[in-house]
Amino acid sequence: MNVIAQCLIAFVFGSVAGLLVQRSRYCNVAALRDAMLFKTYRNTKALLIAMMILTMGFTAFITVGAGKPLYFDVGLNTFIGLFLFGIGMVLAGACTVSTWVKAGEGNVGAIWALLFTFIGMFLFSLLWSFTYWPPAPNTMTGDFNLAGLQLGFANAATLQEKTKIPAVVFGAVQTLVLYGLYRAILRRERAGAGADTQADSESAACNAWADNDKAVPQGAARVTAEQST
Amino acid sequence: MELFKKTLSPVAAMAIIAVLNIFLFQIVGAWTVGGGETMMTGLIAQMFLGDSLSRIPFWNVAFPPDPGYWKIYISLGMLFGAVVGAVLSKEFNWHMPHRLSEWVMITIGGLLMGIGIRLAFVCNVSTFYGLTPEMNLGGYLATSGILAGAWVGTWIYKKSLEG
Repeated sequence: MNVIAQCLIAFVFGSVAGLLVQRSRYCNVAALRDAMLFKTYRNTKALLIAMMILTMGFTAFITVGAGKPLYFDVGLNTFIGLFLFGIGMVLAGACTVSTWVKAGEGNVGAIWALLFTFIGMFLFSLLWSFTYWPPAPNTMTGDFNLAGLQLGFANAATLQEKTKIPAVVFGAVQTLVLYGLYRAILRRERAGAGADTQADSESAACNAWADNDKAVPQGAARVTAEQST
Repeated sequence: MELFKKTLSPVAAMAIIAVLNIFLFQIVGAWTVGGGETMMTGLIAQMFLGDSLSRIPFWNVAFPPDPGYWKIYISLGMLFGAVVGAVLSKEFNWHMPHRLSEWVMITIGGLLMGIGIRLAFVCNVSTFYGLTPEMNLGGYLATSGILAGAWVGTWIYKKSLEG
């Protein structure tokens, strides 16, 4: 497929995703933060449903050797990088998706977060140029490498290759685990353990500085009011 | 149109996106944002630094700037889709944080996100909607990292509200 077609498909996908995220007020930050802070799970449930669908879909394609999985080694850098990212997204009140979506709604705070994400990337590029760690994708071997703090590469395809069990079977197991989490959330909501499901009609606010005008679950409403000016 | 009058269920929205993402996975690769943002960073840096950018090894070895990198267009598409959604639903309005503390939190948060993405080679989108559904070992490492980070971030956020 030529480059223009790839870019066009990516743009169409992004447009639909941006529209749906904007209209649903879905937010990845809220999926984690609100579950931890307010015990509300509106976004967490959506995240789990998406992951269940994707796990079955991706592993089904991988089983027959189709699809284009991400292919690069992972290691300590993967954990530390996402640890820093996790702190950052909660502080910024937006993740990679919501910065673009909120920017599209005219939120200057989101544009600022995006700008500093770019600056953070550039600063890290200077550090990488000095340390060359983590290794560049073309120098990763796919094997365990203690010196480079790399664990190598493994996914549903390598599992299938090593065990001769179809990847989709492993996918079904992972989906069941995710479904178990989903059911646990539903049970918790039914028990009314701190969650206000009635307030689910609107997001728990992706970030306090972004959605002060939206109806939010009770716990979140108190905080957003405090943040609001 | 009803879509622009009511808030869509996030479960329905993410289910639709997930199905489309499966097709995207088959055609070009799974939904990701961090890679496109890195390439945009390189292209913006190239506008300011010109050819001297290639003296920085990261932009020469790991991520040579390329405007034909498809992942850029996912981010631009999201921006476009969000503008369309916000305008048609009359939710578009310019607004900004008012407190200095909010600007500081957003600035630090943005920097940490940028550094984190580059250190890990993945973002939260790749973690939840790419690596983990592919059952990639990195997905589990990244998920553990982002949950721990979100917990720490939430603790800081809570303390800042109490303060």
